[in-house]
Amino acid sequence: MHELSMAQAIVDTVLDAAEKNNATEVVEVTIEVGMLTMLNPEQLKFLLDVIVEDTLLENAEIIIEDVSVEIKCHGCEFTGLANTDGSDHYLTIVLCPECGERNVEILTGKECNVKTIKIEKSDEDA
Amino acid sequence: MHKVAEVEVQHDIMVANRKLARKNQRILDKDRVFSVDVVGAIGSGKTSLIEAIIDAVDYKIGVIAGDVISKYDAGRFEKHDVPVVGLNTGKECHLDAHLVEHALHDMPLKDIDVLFIENVGNLICPVDFDLGSHMRMVVISVTEGDDTVEKHPLIFQDADLVVINKVDLAEAVGADDDKMVSDVNQLNPEVQVIKTSLKTGTGFEDVIGAINAFINDN
Ligand SMILES: Nc1nc2c(ncn2[C@@H]2O[C@H](COP(=O)(O)OP(=O)(O)OP(=O)(O)O)[C@@H](O)[C@H]2O)c(=O)[nH]1
Ligand SMILES: [Zn+2]
Ligand SMILES: [Zn+2]
Ligand SMILES: [Zn+2]
Ligand SMILES: [Zn+2]
Repeated sequence: MHELSMAQAIVDTVLDAAEKNNATEVVEVTIEVGMLTMLNPEQLKFLLDVIVEDTLLENAEIIIEDVSVEIKCHGCEFTGLANTDGSDHYLTIVLCPECGERNVEILTGKECNVKTIKIEKSDEDA
Repeated sequence: MHKVAEVEVQHDIMVANRKLARKNQRILDKDRVFSVDVVGAIGSGKTSLIEAIIDAVDYKIGVIAGDVISKYDAGRFEKHDVPVVGLNTGKECHLDAHLVEHALHDMPLKDIDVLFIENVGNLICPVDFDLGSHMRMVVISVTEGDDTVEKHPLIFQDADLVVINKVDLAEAVGADDDKMVSDVNQLNPEVQVIKTSLKTGTGFEDVIGAINAFINDN
């Protein structure tokens, strides 16, 4: 269950950025979650909704964007979107779609990135 | 009147952990400590293997033992007269670089040559969390079933050494240990895979040899 600590790290990151920008409120948070992270987006979202209580992002809309898996194959020349078995994130197996090789380098799909936030600030600060 | 502004944050939590991990490695390098992250399935033999290594080699070893709630493994290592820091992860399913950094402060780094970090038994979550060690050893055993590698490919892709333990039980549990070896090699052709039984001693010397080779390369 590492979604809880990831959710906490996300909230800390957002609060830090919000404070640096003199936000009075955070209205929207966009997070990119790679399909190969061992994170369940549903669970992450649920936990975020719980732990934002009494913070600047209490009422923020939380948007989670999936990041698909891009690979570079060590068997052939292929670079691009991978074949992922999305049926169960615990069983994600990455194969080269060209040659079926399992020995591939993962270029994207392992991120948990706080991308942007939308904040409100009072006019005096603006 | 209020004004809404969009702020680029671009802070990747995974990258943040990796940065902490590199910091750990610098702390270790400063005192010339080589470190091995030991990950693997629950009950696969991680503690037994580290215990056997402690007793077999003549370099000075320290251990960070990650347990979910107890300090059970830490207690086992203490009996071998080596410095041990037990890390309680609480509800967490893995160690992370931040927890390890705390443990490094309590470890007498100047007095040890090699640090083993036993992660929580789990083939899934530790994949995402680099600890800053110089080498990652994955320990599984035949009793988890010979489809274990296929089911958890990512942890084997990042491994530096893979140990398939309890081969003495392979026949009893109907597991094909050769299939497990070839599954690993399909995912990661460069990695050395060693079949062991800590009960009979099979393969154990090869594990010591492989770790020594990594230490000498470092
Ligand atoms: N038959 C057999 N039993 C083994 C072997 N290696 C370890 N065991 C036994 O397997 C059990 C689990 O071993 P541990 O070393 O505690 O495993 P672990 O991976 O540290 O377990 P956790 O820390 O709980 O995840 C113990 O009872 C060991 O004695 C082996 O090669 N063969
Ligand atoms: Zn987890
Ligand atoms: Zn290919
Ligand atoms: Zn153990
Ligand atoms: Zn701390």
